[in-house]
Amino acid sequence: MISSTILLSLAMLPQGPRVESPQPESPQFHAPVRLKAGDDYIKVEAPGYAAPCYYDVDGDGHKDLIVGQFKGGKMHVFKGTKSGTFQKGDWLKAEGDIAEVPGVW
Amino acid sequence: MDLNGDGFVDILSGSYSRHDPNMAGLFQVLYGTQDGTFKKPVALNGADGEPLILPGSKKNVTDMICTRPFACDLDGDGKLDIVAGNFSGSFGFFKGTGKGKFEAKATWLEAGGNKMTVPAHSDPFLIDWDGDGDLDLLSGSSSGGAFLFPNRGSKNAFEFGPMQTLLAAGAQRMPFGDKPKFGDAHIKTPQHGTRVWADDVDGDGKLDLLIGDQLTLQHLADGVDAATAAEKMVSWEKRQKKLFESMQSDDPKAQEAFQKNYEALQKERKEFVVDETTGFVWLMRQK
Repeated sequence: MISSTILLSLAMLPQGPRVESPQPESPQFHAPVRLKAGDDYIKVEAPGYAAPCYYDVDGDGHKDLIVGQFKGGKMHVFKGTKSGTFQKGDWLKAEGDIAEVPGVW
Repeated sequence: MDLNGDGFVDILSGSYSRHDPNMAGLFQVLYGTQDGTFKKPVALNGADGEPLILPGSKKNVTDMICTRPFACDLDGDGKLDIVAGNFSGSFGFFKGTGKGKFEAKATWLEAGGNKMTVPAHSDPFLIDWDGDGDLDLLSGSSSGGAFLFPNRGSKNAFEFGPMQTLLAAGAQRMPFGDKPKFGDAHIKTPQHGTRVWADDVDGDGKLDLLIGDQLTLQHLADGVDAATAAEKMVSWEKRQKKLFESMQSDDPKAQEAFQKNYEALQKERKEFVVDETTGFVWLMRQK
């Protein structure tokens, strides 16, 4: 199952949750790396809200990156390579047309 | 995995609204086909034949706006369930009845007797993060960051613990008084509106995080150098702050004047800076 997130804008922030943080056993991470496809950073159309999914969608043995966005409810597919990089992307298609999830503005 | 058990991978997505007065976001599925392509999205129905919708009412409509549905067997009965995030930041649980069908009514997930929430725009992703055999819940939020609700129950009886922070929320938007920064080179970490995915991306046996975000970049307008733009931006922000402080909300004439001045300020700003609202994807490798 690929679960692609379509996102919302603006704030109506509820009261914050109770937080246990940081935990002694909290995982540690290397510095964040902004991902590229080819030579360009992966980025989505305005108003943003990139929603990544990492899955071998084409079944070639290399995991791909599917990135959903708010605008038009569209998703970009960046094919993964043997070296772990991503190729330049293309819109996900559904029945031959660019897939658009309805109800996303 | 596939939602309807036909052997082909499917795509499950949330949606903001079905454009009715209740603002209820539906769960949309792009069913996979034998040739590896996808069908156009259709709303996912519950056991009653009606579209699955998170619980809510006109008083708390943001509970019903779906940000992300995630399919997984959370209760360990061998059938896919759905955990769905919403605008409010909570997590609805739709119990699966098998073959891509789900009970029509959801319950809210709790941790220690309290409704589980993140700072709006909950973003459930379930995976055995701590390696104890049950599914833990990861989430982004509207404020940014990445959060973990560890499952302290078992594979067949989930019981979530309080939220832990894996990545702190992003910086505040457009802080007055900060030195203006242009372009994207200064962006070093995920910002707002985070969406998470976890996998062992680097193959070292530890789960890593893939995080999508939302941010607004400021670019130099054509023919404007960085020093000039920075100087103008500082002056501009001071005047905007002063304008907001002077606003008289109960005086129509003052409101009209405010609007006129506000529009003039926005027009002036475009002479030295151009905004770009976008979202990036980040990899955070676990050490």
